[in-house]
Amino acid sequence: MIYLDSAATTFQKPPAVAAAMGRALDTMSSPGRGGHPAAMLAADTAFACRSELAELFGLKNPENVVFTLNATHALNLAIKTLVPLGGRAVISGYEHNAVTRPLRALEAQISVAESPLFSAADAVRAFAENITPETHAVICTHVSNVFGFILPVEEIAALCRRRGVPLVIDASQAAGVLPLDIGALGAAFAAMPGHKGLYGPQGTGVLLCGEGGPPVRTLLEGGTGSVSLQQEMPEFLPDRLEAGTHNMPGIAGLLEGIRYVREQGMEAICRRERELTLLLAEGLRTVSGLRVHALPGLRQQTGVLSVVPEKGDVERLGQQLAERGIAVRTGLHCAPLAHRSAGTLETGTVRLSVSAFNTRREIYETLAVFQELMA
Amino acid sequence: MEHYLILARSITYAQRMQRALERSGIRCQIFRASRDLTDLGCAYVLRLTVEDLPEALKIIHQRGLGPVQIFLYQRGVYREVTP
Repeated sequence: MIYLDSAATTFQKPPAVAAAMGRALDTMSSPGRGGHPAAMLAADTAFACRSELAELFGLKNPENVVFTLNATHALNLAIKTLVPLGGRAVISGYEHNAVTRPLRALEAQISVAESPLFSAADAVRAFAENITPETHAVICTHVSNVFGFILPVEEIAALCRRRGVPLVIDASQAAGVLPLDIGALGAAFAAMPGHKGLYGPQGTGVLLCGEGGPPVRTLLEGGTGSVSLQQEMPEFLPDRLEAGTHNMPGIAGLLEGIRYVREQGMEAICRRERELTLLLAEGLRTVSGLRVHALPGLRQQTGVLSVVPEKGDVERLGQQLAERGIAVRTGLHCAPLAHRSAGTLETGTVRLSVSAFNTRREIYETLAVFQELMA
Repeated sequence: MEHYLILARSITYAQRMQRALERSGIRCQIFRASRDLTDLGCAYVLRLTVEDLPEALKIIHQRGLGPVQIFLYQRGVYREVTP
């Protein structure tokens, strides 16, 4: 199989990930649940993982790194902390349902900072126009999960700091690929999955809480292994948001995934993914009957590429690719807003997304299959 | 043997203090806090030698990790002390 669906989940992982997960099953219980070696080894592993993440994303304090089930869980925590029922939020035109559905559940008044695909300047302008003194939070994806469009989060963060509005960054597609310094940006929260660009296993996610932020609202209450006589959840992180037993095999795997990213270097991973995607985009442009959503030179884009067949259905094309051993994602990718912004809501797209493990040879083989299918 | 215990509200907080101290060359171990040391329920403690406490407290305060509760073990019992 040629796996080009890494924007959903990176399928190939560094071998150390599975090995660490197996070791965790054999040797670890849960952090904060005892003083015996199995609990303390779990605690050491969890702390090492928090520390790596804090260092990678510009947080001074590993306690501000919260383990979640996935990025959606992390986004729910951030959004439901900042936006009250019926509150106001400004979001980009490229947000995932993981952002828009929690806002809908809060009956929030949502202002969409609409901007054309791949235009960073227009995105900043749109946020500037939409943020008002009544805005409770700005929520912005760093990279569109459909088009790989890199949103200008540095400029948007500066705008939020000037206007005094808390910023939530959805780093689902950026974590492990693009640099992100939460401390420097002054963001209130950043949410990310462990199972994409950080090469951890499914069932892992992270909420990074900015220093000195507001008390985070809990979604779950329960045991934390701390202040057990108190019936309210602890005020302090990460315990406040980590009720129940930790996913230690997941966290141990995530730690190895993060170590892989740091060994390879995010810049090198990003360069490689962009090279492969550029090769793919340029090749697909030569295929007749295919609309490719990319600027020349892949400006303002990561390793995520969407294409639309001018005739026929994206689902059918995806199925044909799957039958030839190429795994892609088709449809709306849980992000109808992004499709509305890019004008692909009616058709959906075929999304091809690479990881550090793809090769040029796989890209050439994929291009040959597209040529055959579209002929 | 006499020693000090520094009470930590959680395992993560205890680890953060431990790493900060270890980076400055102060060795300490993390244990579960005995029930009589805290009226809030489960917690962890860092065990330190008597000699290391002054420097440890300096580091803890420099890193913004304080204030902390400290207990001295002497003649078979723990008692809270103010540094």
